[in-house]
Amino acid sequence: MRGILLASLGRGIPVTLAMAGLLAVTACGSGGEAAVSAEGGLPAEIKIMTIKDRTGPVAFTGLSTIKGIELAVEQINAEKFLGETKIVLESKDPAGKAQTAASQMTAAIQDKSYAAVFGPVASDQAAATSPLAERGKMPIIYSQAGSEGVVIGKYTFRATPPMTSYYRVIGDHIKSKNVKTLGVVYNTTLPTLKEVAEKVLPEMGAELGFSVVSSAAVQMTTQDFAAPISKVVKEKPDAIALLLVGGQNPTAMRQLRQAGFDGLVLGNTAAGAGNLKPAGQDGAGMTWPSDFHPDQPGESTKKFVDLYQAKFNERPLNYAAEGYDSAWWLARAVKQAGGASRDDIQRGLDVVAAEGFEGAMGKLAFENRDMRLTGVIVQWNGTEEVLVGSDS
Amino acid sequence: MLQDLINALSLGSIYLLFALGMSLVWGTVGILNFAHGAIFMFAAFVSSVITDQVRLPLPALIVIGAAVGALLSVAVQLLAFQPIMRRAKDHRSGEMQILIGGIGVAAIPLAIAEEVTGSNPFGFAGSSYVTSTFSLLGVRVTSTQLMVVAAALVIGIGVIVWLRFSRSGLALRSIGVDPETASLMGVNRRVLSLSTMAVAGGLAGLAGVLLTYNLGAITPESGDVLLIKAFAAVILGGVGSMAGVIVGAYVLAVAETIVLTQTSGLWVDAVSFGFIFAVLLFKSEGLFGRREVRRT
Repeated sequence: MRGILLASLGRGIPVTLAMAGLLAVTACGSGGEAAVSAEGGLPAEIKIMTIKDRTGPVAFTGLSTIKGIELAVEQINAEKFLGETKIVLESKDPAGKAQTAASQMTAAIQDKSYAAVFGPVASDQAAATSPLAERGKMPIIYSQAGSEGVVIGKYTFRATPPMTSYYRVIGDHIKSKNVKTLGVVYNTTLPTLKEVAEKVLPEMGAELGFSVVSSAAVQMTTQDFAAPISKVVKEKPDAIALLLVGGQNPTAMRQLRQAGFDGLVLGNTAAGAGNLKPAGQDGAGMTWPSDFHPDQPGESTKKFVDLYQAKFNERPLNYAAEGYDSAWWLARAVKQAGGASRDDIQRGLDVVAAEGFEGAMGKLAFENRDMRLTGVIVQWNGTEEVLVGSDS
Repeated sequence: MLQDLINALSLGSIYLLFALGMSLVWGTVGILNFAHGAIFMFAAFVSSVITDQVRLPLPALIVIGAAVGALLSVAVQLLAFQPIMRRAKDHRSGEMQILIGGIGVAAIPLAIAEEVTGSNPFGFAGSSYVTSTFSLLGVRVTSTQLMVVAAALVIGIGVIVWLRFSRSGLALRSIGVDPETASLMGVNRRVLSLSTMAVAGGLAGLAGVLLTYNLGAITPESGDVLLIKAFAAVILGGVGSMAGVIVGAYVLAVAETIVLTQTSGLWVDAVSFGFIFAVLLFKSEGLFGRREVRRT
């Protein structure tokens, strides 16, 4: 999904904020010489700042991501993956505010004891912290935060694949349902959803033999979908794609069923994480491509899911898997570089990205410091999300 | 076309139900309550929490929602707005401070709901009420939509009748025109303000429950979104005119529906704000508002 749920995207990039932070960071002139660096070896502790929302509108993403990171760090330390060196997390809560995230990022850069940062999940926060990271030469690994302007240089990395890169995995499912016509209702405020609606789906249609016969754009503020759904249903499409943010999905699914549509419904990962629960049986059948499902095949996934369930007594969400893989990416980078200075970690992250690795989300590859994977197909069956397809 | 009209009527009723309480307080007591959205949301949230534990029918949830809304609204008035007004240098600065106070107060129920729900949407899955869908001549309408439209119109007209023809309604309107003179005429401003806040909160709670049923689910942030729409409806209709709010809500909904069905939908929010801008520019008192309202 990468930032789909992040309503704050619409507020724009806080350029002024970033510029102000840049001045502070430039003055600091850390130059990537973290105090934890030890020439020729690893320090006893590698301190990492985690800037993830524990409160505010995207808290459910932040909290889940933190669980994944904590699980990975616990495992890395317990297995002595880095020998006697321990990774230590310091958690900061930006509480949905780009301004707070930028302040926390500036503090991390100025405090030489921090070797790297796990960046915020919201795109507007990430867009504020990325210029600071680049200027302060602080490696930062994001998850979610899917907009442009986040991965902008050699110190910014992202452990969530863009939805547009794996949406096509649902192609076979669409083909199997003999879909010839498609209607689309999409949230036009978010670039990722807009791109899927206006570019990815029509391109898939050209390949798979279906055409988009009607579409209706809605905005972040839309709460009643009766009119756009009515507009799309009028064309009697075989399938409808609802590309909406988290809280919009249950209402739209309910109103789609009330409008009499009982065909295939495509969604996006923002419908996951329990967002369709209030729709109950009206939500049944919504199907979407995702970067992770706990039932997907693969030893590394199974190991992650077992560990997660043992620790938290619940099934992991995709955000937790992304957090887990972020932390392992970092640990592998430290090991690869043989050092824990900021520059060592930056170089290590690049090397690991070039090689790829098996993570909680399966086989991971990277393009320009941005994650890529095949994806899986998930469906809400009225009570829970189930795996309906995987190429992994 | 008929389906679009029904959709517009339903959307307008949603805006109206939400805007009624806000307009009532703003047009009479003179408080623009930015906590109204939070009261709306929190009433629905409490009802949702209760219905998760006990299976309840729709009327019971309406009573709970209205009661929670009324209590919360009275608490806001007693603990925030009245102290602000008492300490304010003059009435005008007090009104300005209340705007900020309302935003601050709204953050508390919002934070509680976000904490409990994890910012996920919530609804009334545990309620015994099930929405039915009726289809006639290709037009589909749900029982909840019909209920929302009926409630909005009945309550809207009821509030107009109350304000115009009842003794307490007249007293309330007199506060909106000239509070000092109203006091001299024996109107107990404090009690009446408190009662008005209770009614407005009750309406917000009622709207919260009905809209959650209608939409299936709302999020902790839903109230803030509706606040903007209600603001547009009130400005369009005219502050202080309940009939204006009714017209404003439906005009806004019809305009949005036309934009949505005839264009890509990108311009829907621009229509809301465009209405506010146009009205402020060419008819600042709104379609039905009084040309001059003096409250100090």
